[in-house]
Amino acid sequence: MAKSTALQSGARARLRTLSVLVAAVALALTACTGAGQQAPAPSGAPTAGATSAAPAPAPEETRTLVIGATAEPQTLDPTATDAAAGPQALLYNVYETLVRLDAAGDLKPLLAQAWDVTPDRLTYTFRLNPAAQFSDGTPVDAEAVAKNIERIQTGTTAPKLKNQMEVVVGTEVVDATTLDVTLSRPSVTWLFDMAGAAGIVMNPEGFDAAGSETAGSGPLTLDRWTPGDSIALKRNDAYWGTPARFDEVTFRYFKDPNAMNASMLSGQLDIISNLQAPETIDQFSDEGRFTIIEGSTEGEVTMAINNGAAPEGVPAGTGNPALQDVRVRKAITMAIDRRALLDTVWHGKGTLIGSMSVPTDPYYEDLADLHPYDPEEAKRLLAEAGHENLTLRLRPPTLPYATKAAQFIASQLGAVGITVQVEELQFPRQWIDTAMTNADYDLTIVSHVEPRDVATYANPAYYWRYDNPAVQEAVRKAGEGTIEEYTTEMRNAARIIAEDAASVWLFALPNLVVTKEGVTGVAENANSSLSFDVTTIAKA
Amino acid sequence: MKRAELWVGLALVTAVVAMALVSFVWTPFDATAVGSGPRLQSPGLPHVLGTDHMGIDIFSRILVGARSALYVGIIAVGIAALVGVPLGILAAWLPRWGAEAMMRATDVAYAFPALLLAILLAAVFGASTETAMVAIGIATIPAFIRVTRAGALSVLASDYVLAARAAGTPAPAIAVRHVLPNVAHLIGVQASVSFAMAILAEAALSYLGLGTPPTVPSWGRMLGDAQTYLFGHPTQALWPGLAIAAAVLGFNLVGDGLRDFLDPKLREVA
Repeated sequence: MAKSTALQSGARARLRTLSVLVAAVALALTACTGAGQQAPAPSGAPTAGATSAAPAPAPEETRTLVIGATAEPQTLDPTATDAAAGPQALLYNVYETLVRLDAAGDLKPLLAQAWDVTPDRLTYTFRLNPAAQFSDGTPVDAEAVAKNIERIQTGTTAPKLKNQMEVVVGTEVVDATTLDVTLSRPSVTWLFDMAGAAGIVMNPEGFDAAGSETAGSGPLTLDRWTPGDSIALKRNDAYWGTPARFDEVTFRYFKDPNAMNASMLSGQLDIISNLQAPETIDQFSDEGRFTIIEGSTEGEVTMAINNGAAPEGVPAGTGNPALQDVRVRKAITMAIDRRALLDTVWHGKGTLIGSMSVPTDPYYEDLADLHPYDPEEAKRLLAEAGHENLTLRLRPPTLPYATKAAQFIASQLGAVGITVQVEELQFPRQWIDTAMTNADYDLTIVSHVEPRDVATYANPAYYWRYDNPAVQEAVRKAGEGTIEEYTTEMRNAARIIAEDAASVWLFALPNLVVTKEGVTGVAENANSSLSFDVTTIAKA
Repeated sequence: MKRAELWVGLALVTAVVAMALVSFVWTPFDATAVGSGPRLQSPGLPHVLGTDHMGIDIFSRILVGARSALYVGIIAVGIAALVGVPLGILAAWLPRWGAEAMMRATDVAYAFPALLLAILLAAVFGASTETAMVAIGIATIPAFIRVTRAGALSVLASDYVLAARAAGTPAPAIAVRHVLPNVAHLIGVQASVSFAMAILAEAALSYLGLGTPPTVPSWGRMLGDAQTYLFGHPTQALWPGLAIAAAVLGFNLVGDGLRDFLDPKLREVA
């Protein structure tokens, strides 16, 4: 009995503690957001943040720029993964390419002063800037560029980049500053890709350690990488071109949008590279302190429909067969009020689109009204197809915009008689396994930020499981044609998939940048290089 | 004083149960249809607690959310009690070494956090209300084993059980006829406290997006959704927070009060 009393008094003490906890629960849970966000940003951690906020000017004032960003690179080698985070911080800032994309999306010289193409469009001749040198002083010569192209093709680099470089059949070092690159077929996209991560020219000495150290030729070099917190870059004093305007540039990473906003409001950040919670934008409405830049990105928030193709060599997928009927897919598209969805999910910021193409694409065509919101027509189409009692699994990743959109769409599809079971998949691992790799879904929602990704609809093995020879033909012709043919064919492909309602394109993601008063030169649009280019930025 | 605690607890629990029951027959607005009102309204009329980011009436969602909370609580505590109580009685019956082994295993299981188990299960079987309930239920089993064993040990040592044994009554009959009724009050208290914990765990899981799916109203999910609006529309987070606090406090007070009420010795001391 003594034993049981002791146990009870122990339980009693625990209950007391619990009662105290409970009394604080409302506060604690609501404050979770506030307190939780402070956690990843320990007050004393980033010295760069502290210096930028410090009012007293040091004798030798260091010029700093602190940028808040969301996704953190898993490696310092931007060619190792498809992730956008690597190029965002390092491309053009630490690593340079032969040619670069400017804010308007046009190609400009960088390491190459000039380039020529033969009339058959198969051989490019690049003339390198003789002044160009890596941060350790070795010159950037044709030999180094050739080694980098070979590294992308044969090294342990991202499949996407290998794919972009696949068209190259040979390089020839003519002299130290002249390089010939031969392609197997004409390509409109290759030179654009060379302005992105695929075209990075790394010091060949640094190939082996590229994951943890940088070896570039850009105006900045790596100072300190603190995984989970920040990447600090410092000025490359030996830079061959226009020197950097800043002594220190820090990318600080925030998993939580509120934490990033709080840092910005308290003056620790100079720039929010892309606001992830647009509903919080009103916090920055004080025009004396902040500037809000509303540009565009290459991202399309897409509700994927499992079209049911099962090419050989990939898992068969489990899409509902009803989705192979174009009438059902059209009905789904027409049952969703995308304007209201954009208001709900992304605070009305962004553009309505009707295909896998954004307004900055050269081949863009406004198809947003191709299948307008019309629940009655949707019901009619479902009845015509004989699917009045359809049940679909909507499996969004555990990302705020996706689950919000899922809730919205489930309600709207319910209104036309489609029962939607929402099952969240943990992002990224579970979502990639289940939805992307195994096509084990009927509907799912994710944003696709890769540039010109209409081409993914030409691949039946991609998780859309969309198999349409007309699209495959158009994308193939586009890749091999002239720039005019490219535009025509890509527009054609975008129109076919739209008419086929292969997916539901919910909206194009805006590029919402917030800058502190006095910061200028931030590009309005995020372009396909994925770089957050600090070389154009100045701070008063 | 103790009695007052029990009454406050009962009142809160009754309120939560009433909300859940009422939601089956009546809610002021549809709790799932998006766009039934303007978005992010402040409390007022006709939306007494305002509307959320989807334009759904918050009061209606709070009412329906009570269902999720109770549902998870009932199933999780049910699983824990159904498994834990028989095991607890068994542990009291086993010879010393067997009981020791079992209790040490229970201690290990007790140390394993319920939330972590729920996250693991959600990763393997997918996030759903069912996964959350099972995970919370499993994690609560050790508490029931401990409490039941402690009570059963004293019952098994009593004269009437010795008499029953001497008369040749089979062990299962003793367990059901003598042990169970005499540990029922302990189990009741434990159930009440575990219920509160289950509600809190469900809220936490839904807040993380690992519990109830987004289409089903749930207090934890409402808190999670309210997070991004905290600066502009703080009341969004207030209502679900208060609802969770009231439910958890209610069940804890009931557990606390019940124990004092049912245990004559503690009553005398107080």
